[in-house]
Amino acid sequence: MAELETNHLPEVCRDKMYSNDSKHRTLSVSGTTDNIGIRQRRRLHAGQTDNHTDDDEVKSSPTKADRNLSLPGKQSAACAYCKGIPTTRQKYLLIVKALQSDPIDVITLKQCAISRGGLISDELRAKVWPHLLGIEVTQVKFLPESSLMKYREYKQVLLDVNRSLKRFPPGMEESQRLGMQDEMVSIIVQVLHNNPELCYYQGYHDIAVTFLLVTGQSLAYQILEKLSNEHLKDFMYKTMEKTTTILDYMLPLIGKSSPELRQFMERSGVGTIFCLSWLITWFGHVLPDFKHVVRLYDFFIACHPFMPIYLATAIVLHRESEILECECDMAMVHHLLSKIPADLPFERLITIAGDLFISYPPTDLEPEVILYRKNLELKNEENKEVVRRRNIGPSLSITPRFISKRGAAIWALSAAVGVCAYVVYHYGVRWY
Amino acid sequence: MSYAYLFKYIIIGDTGVGKSCLLLQFTDKRFQPVHDLTIGVEFGARMITIDGKQIKLQIWDTAGQESFRSITRSYYRGAAGALLVYDITRRDTFTHLTTWLEDARQHSNSNMVIMLIGNKTDLESRRDVKKEEGEAFAREHGLIFMETSAKTAANVEEAFINTAKEIYEKIQEGVFDINNEANGIKIGPQHSPSSPHAPSGSLGQQAGGGCC
Repeated sequence: MAELETNHLPEVCRDKMYSNDSKHRTLSVSGTTDNIGIRQRRRLHAGQTDNHTDDDEVKSSPTKADRNLSLPGKQSAACAYCKGIPTTRQKYLLIVKALQSDPIDVITLKQCAISRGGLISDELRAKVWPHLLGIEVTQVKFLPESSLMKYREYKQVLLDVNRSLKRFPPGMEESQRLGMQDEMVSIIVQVLHNNPELCYYQGYHDIAVTFLLVTGQSLAYQILEKLSNEHLKDFMYKTMEKTTTILDYMLPLIGKSSPELRQFMERSGVGTIFCLSWLITWFGHVLPDFKHVVRLYDFFIACHPFMPIYLATAIVLHRESEILECECDMAMVHHLLSKIPADLPFERLITIAGDLFISYPPTDLEPEVILYRKNLELKNEENKEVVRRRNIGPSLSITPRFISKRGAAIWALSAAVGVCAYVVYHYGVRWY
Repeated sequence: MSYAYLFKYIIIGDTGVGKSCLLLQFTDKRFQPVHDLTIGVEFGARMITIDGKQIKLQIWDTAGQESFRSITRSYYRGAAGALLVYDITRRDTFTHLTTWLEDARQHSNSNMVIMLIGNKTDLESRRDVKKEEGEAFAREHGLIFMETSAKTAANVEEAFINTAKEIYEKIQEGVFDINNEANGIKIGPQHSPSSPHAPSGSLGQQAGGGCC
């Protein structure tokens, strides 16, 4: 492939292209094929099937030397997985082309949102997200503060927004941040005002701020309103019962891939509350790095509303060996799981979540989830003591496995073709 | 680190009253002026000494918003102590105490020790609930009462430790059935009356690591 000109691309785009290829630099510069072999073997032993390192996220800008060694198109033949995946530049062009086509090529946009790297830059996100959601962009007129104040949850929203400092970029001027916080309050309250059947929940503002930072106030309002009536609707009832139902998918889903892990977690009594904030904020509340948050938002917007619980499950499965090494105690396991490691390989986890979704879609899993809930309630009613064994016996294997035979087959398939194709084609363009 | 007893606590009360800040001050001895809100439940632990015995406090900090109530309730049952917190600068957080108390009593074991806490005494100039009102409420409902400041750390240690003392006294008096873990009390491994080879169901359990 010829060397590509990258100067006209947005900065973020160029950075990503170079950083994505840094692994190839390692191959060619150090010549440490042996080391790579060991790494691959270790990874394969861990049930992973691609050649990508865990840190396959956007890195800092490359040095001049990096650029010489890692221009896109100079991909090493060693990385077969990359062959089917467009470079960032190709993806950028694909997105632009899809946006320019008439009618707009929403399927391609969805595929791009799901596949490696997502929608590349915030600039593109602001253009693509509305199309993924079928929104006709207009200029929204906001109610004056005096009207907003009449809304029953206004005070609560204000309190929560005032506590959301860490969601803004650290270098942002205070005046700018305060202005955005005002905008955030007005977006949230206006959505709730216009949709009185929806109830505010703490964490909703974590979602609002993500859209505000990427798209600006008017479009953020439109996106938030649309999502509140679709993907987020289950979280917006007066109580969290529907949300609990979604959380109930996690353990049966874990059991499909690792019955041992499911059993361990059930024995510990940890439940699934540790991932409540992951689910209802789409990870916005818990991930410190904004680029990971928006990447996941690309994925979630393009997928079924239950996809966040599939991703949450993928994260737990990814940490299986760590969990099984933990004392089988509710507090210990809760503590371990509620702290999300900073270096999660999100691209790989997205693929795994997609694979899980394809293998065990919500409708197929539902009877088992209902049974799980019934057993849980029965257990609560009887107030059964969960007696935990002090130690995990030596016979208990802590070797991480991937997923069941069926899952593994799907994994191989989707890795080759692209999980996005399956999720999009098999589950349609709209969910509602 | 080994312990003689483990006591399980819950912290409840309206959103924004300072529940997480009290926990942070107690476990880490620090204060965050703008603490991120709690979604679901969070968890902290610390070792204290009462009557020369090491006691591990395992504290579950719950979300204050009403809609989370159905989720956080499940944490009430296995608790030996509860800190019911209101904000002395916001009367509504005080008026909601009755609901919180009813909820706690309904979903927890009857011997649970409840400490009523009026937090944010550092904001005296904005006080909206008199100390006497807190005392009267506590007296009426049989609760222990303290005013605290998570910011200055005033009375924070005392609030957690006095609750533990009350639980400890109840154990000494035989009020708590310490053989039933559902009461929120666990006996440390070396203090267990059961033999180390006792069948499963014995009380002895490994002490948690540093964090838990």
